[in-house]
Amino acid sequence: MNSQYYEFFCPVKVIAGHAALEHIPYELTGLGGSRPMIITDSRVRQAGLLSPLLTACQEGGLEVVTIYDEVPPDSSTAVVRDIARVYREQDCNAILAVGGGSSIDTGKAVNILVSEGGEDLTQYSGAGILQKPLRPFVVIPTTAGTGSEVTSVAVITDEHKEVKLPFTSSFLLPDAAVIDPRMTLTLPPMITAATGMDALTHAIEAITGLGSNPLSNAYATAAIRMISQHLIAVMDHPRNTEGRLALAQAATMAGIAFSNSMVGLVHSLGHATGAICHLPHGLCMSLYLPYVLEYNLDRIRGPLGELLLPLEGAEVYATTRANERAEASIRAIRKLRDQLHERCDLPRTLHETGRVRRDQLDDIARLALDDGSILFNPREVTLNDTQAILQRAWT
Amino acid sequence: MPHQRLPLRFRLRRLYVTVMFAVMGRALQALSEVDRQSRREITALPHGFVFELTVMPDGPGLAVEHTGNGHLVYHRQPAGPVDLSIRFKHISHAFRVVAFQEKTAVSFASERMVVDGNIAFAVRLTRVINRMETFILPRALAKRAVKEYPSDLPITEKATTAARIYLRILTHPAGTPRTQ
Repeated sequence: MNSQYYEFFCPVKVIAGHAALEHIPYELTGLGGSRPMIITDSRVRQAGLLSPLLTACQEGGLEVVTIYDEVPPDSSTAVVRDIARVYREQDCNAILAVGGGSSIDTGKAVNILVSEGGEDLTQYSGAGILQKPLRPFVVIPTTAGTGSEVTSVAVITDEHKEVKLPFTSSFLLPDAAVIDPRMTLTLPPMITAATGMDALTHAIEAITGLGSNPLSNAYATAAIRMISQHLIAVMDHPRNTEGRLALAQAATMAGIAFSNSMVGLVHSLGHATGAICHLPHGLCMSLYLPYVLEYNLDRIRGPLGELLLPLEGAEVYATTRANERAEASIRAIRKLRDQLHERCDLPRTLHETGRVRRDQLDDIARLALDDGSILFNPREVTLNDTQAILQRAWT
Repeated sequence: MPHQRLPLRFRLRRLYVTVMFAVMGRALQALSEVDRQSRREITALPHGFVFELTVMPDGPGLAVEHTGNGHLVYHRQPAGPVDLSIRFKHISHAFRVVAFQEKTAVSFASERMVVDGNIAFAVRLTRVINRMETFILPRALAKRAVKEYPSDLPITEKATTAARIYLRILTHPAGTPRTQ
């Protein structure tokens, strides 16, 4: 008897494709959001990404009341409080978050304060604290990697205690995620590569982890196929609109997948490395992915072998023996990393990053053991295991 | 609709979960007294930290409190605020785990339980619970309970540690730390 049990939840309306931004006035008005505030960071504004959005709103008769464009890469409770104050002063009634993970998480946190009231965000930290829907909230991702637009989690730093506060609730999910290729068209090559590998890791860990389930597998497999087909093409032709749209959609699909089946040891090591060495998250995912798959290989041989089809296509899949497909999948990921390294010097080892010292590896190994993602890894991970993986990832 | 008495098998199931939670709570306290590796894990928790494993909506459950130096004390009910709570969504989910029909990790990954509190501490306590199950259960049952049975655990260490844990479970009332 199959005793598998799983839950799958994604109520986010995905609005994707050409001229998707132009749909925002209709969407927000329908949600009762007539006075939106834009929350973003300075790089998004400097890259001119707000321009088509503002034009789309103006043409659609929607007044953007105010723009906050100073979200830092690692947002804090003070930043959230500051934005909430502006939101209230300007009498806004909706939020448009534009950017990567930090801007989107900040938007989620601001929505908590302006919906629930008060100044103290920390009282809402944890799981299941929120009990009712929040204000209209629309997200426009600009990095094609994090998947934050479809996750029910936000992480904000408490600047007083210097800890990262997690917020988990289905009420944090945006009402809509708008995926428009114009928003990722100018993404620099290094960020395109790293965020693409981030999305690929989300999808692969969703399929190979303990929380894997048929619905999230469907999203993850489709995401892997799109990333495999389009990532190198976009690296070679950055203004390839079709490719950019495919990568952005793949990131959202991977986000839907991992938010319903979670991630594993690649993320545990990545979170620890990010905390200690301050490396970008997507780069960490790219660094560790093949090594962790090799470590888990005996437990994930079946599903990993099947990923050869979306990774390499029907011909390679058909000509590879069934019992060799898992190793071939790992080789395909290594090949993809080599191709990205050729095009933008995306590091493949910890040593190549130039920002990790060998004497930090033990600290990373220990910190990774306490990361929540490790619970979903198919193998029970020990300190010796994380140390051995880090040594392999060093050179 | 008037409240009806549940059929016998459901009442027995609840009783079984209640008894197993009591055994687990006492075993966690005993493990923290006899196993240095577990104490190393627990020491990272704040002094007075209370962990609760329970079933929605109203139990059964167990609670353990860190009383310092890696020692846990078992309570049938938490006396005060709980720092970390892991709650099964239904008694049948808890039964599957304590009857070794489903690994704790798989139950968690399948969202049969809800975690509220510091996730890093939850990860540590999960390792401690796994270690406890590895010691007190026969190898065949332990393999069904934990994600991976340790390959480097000598049979002599397993037997002696299990004996010391069971002795403490049988001779020690809840809520009282053993004098060192």
